[in-house]
Amino acid sequence: MEMTTGNEMMITVSGVTKNFGAFRALDGLSLNVKKGSVYGLVGPNGAGKTTFIKALMGIYKADSGEMTLDGKPIFENEEVKSRMIYVCDDLFYYPTYTIEQTAKMYADIYPNWSNELFEKLHDIYKIDLKRKVIRLSKGMQKQVAFWLGISAQPDVMILDEPIDGLDPVMRRNTWRLVLNEVAERGMTVLISSHNLRELEDVCDHVGIMFGGKMVIEKSLDDVKGNIHKIQIAFAKEGSDEKLALFTSNLELLHESRMGSVASLIVKGDMEDIKNIAAQYSPVVFDIIPLTLEEVFIYELGGMGYEFENILI
Amino acid sequence: MFQLEPGDRRPLYEQIKENIKFLIIGGSLADGDRIPSVRELAVNMAINPNTIQKAYKELENEGYIHSLKAKGYFVSPRSQAEKAAGNEVLAKFTDAARELMYTGKTFDELCGIIEQIYKGGNIDGNDNGQ
Repeated sequence: MEMTTGNEMMITVSGVTKNFGAFRALDGLSLNVKKGSVYGLVGPNGAGKTTFIKALMGIYKADSGEMTLDGKPIFENEEVKSRMIYVCDDLFYYPTYTIEQTAKMYADIYPNWSNELFEKLHDIYKIDLKRKVIRLSKGMQKQVAFWLGISAQPDVMILDEPIDGLDPVMRRNTWRLVLNEVAERGMTVLISSHNLRELEDVCDHVGIMFGGKMVIEKSLDDVKGNIHKIQIAFAKEGSDEKLALFTSNLELLHESRMGSVASLIVKGDMEDIKNIAAQYSPVVFDIIPLTLEEVFIYELGGMGYEFENILI
Repeated sequence: MFQLEPGDRRPLYEQIKENIKFLIIGGSLADGDRIPSVRELAVNMAINPNTIQKAYKELENEGYIHSLKAKGYFVSPRSQAEKAAGNEVLAKFTDAARELMYTGKTFDELCGIIEQIYKGGNIDGNDNGQ
């Protein structure tokens, strides 16, 4: 049947800290992923996304903090781990194993494993079962990871930069298969990626990490609904004063001018902004939502992570 | 069934809503037709099922579609959809009127246009003259 996210939490992370020597990679990180949600974890390079995912999967041991799946602690917990599938960028396979042998190993480990699904998916991932996985190309190894991962029918999929390396057709097919599990079984997905255009389609929630912390965690609609690009111009007489008055009423993230037209990046409710603008009778007024990529750039810009002047 | 414009910046659920409305108002989807399930549309378009669900819920609240238990979503009788469409067009009209006000059109000018429409006059821009 058709599922939607309720309010039940699948993954709960609170106050997780991880140090590497003197370097603090995770600094009291908290995060919440609802059951049946597709959660996009984004952030600049070095924000701690992969460290967090490795801590979540028990590859690193966190120095402090709590991480639970469905209310149960994850670390070294076999029962909980058997409900999770992890697909990352540097996949590991046993050197001598064929796809078939690896599938048998998965069937032993994951209680929900479905042979029927594995065979069905062979129509999509058309790779000879007798081939050794490590002999396959990087992209094909990734296909195998999804093929096996989806067949394991996990409750949660943790994906770290997963889709890169797949060609556009396999990328779309793989997303369709993953979203089918989300729609049909209420599978939960946590995905870290820099492909924000893609995340915009597949995610319902996003978390933006910076400096080992979670800085914004909201539904995608709320993230995008609270920040806008405005183009505004006033009649010549007193236009600068009017613009100054208008912007003084707003939470302004960015401003640029081109002739008499000002382009503003503004936080706040769209209707409120429209009403404020109306008070100053602009001659040009246009307000459009930002793309997730723009939200990322301007939100992090506000925290000091900005474009440098490239024209040296 | 439909394709989303890659350059469209509006939230996805809004775009999906609008596309389905367009199909209903245009008659491509008729009263009683079954529309794709959340899962079908999500998988087909490679879009988050919760987003599709949100669009369907809003279409249901606006009277365009209704759900039948265990059967899926169906297009609602036309009168309901038309009423909903009327409200939406009215909202657009209000926006347009406000914009025209900002750009200096007077109250009388707008009333003149409305009067002409209701009297069945031909208005085709400003150069039509009286």
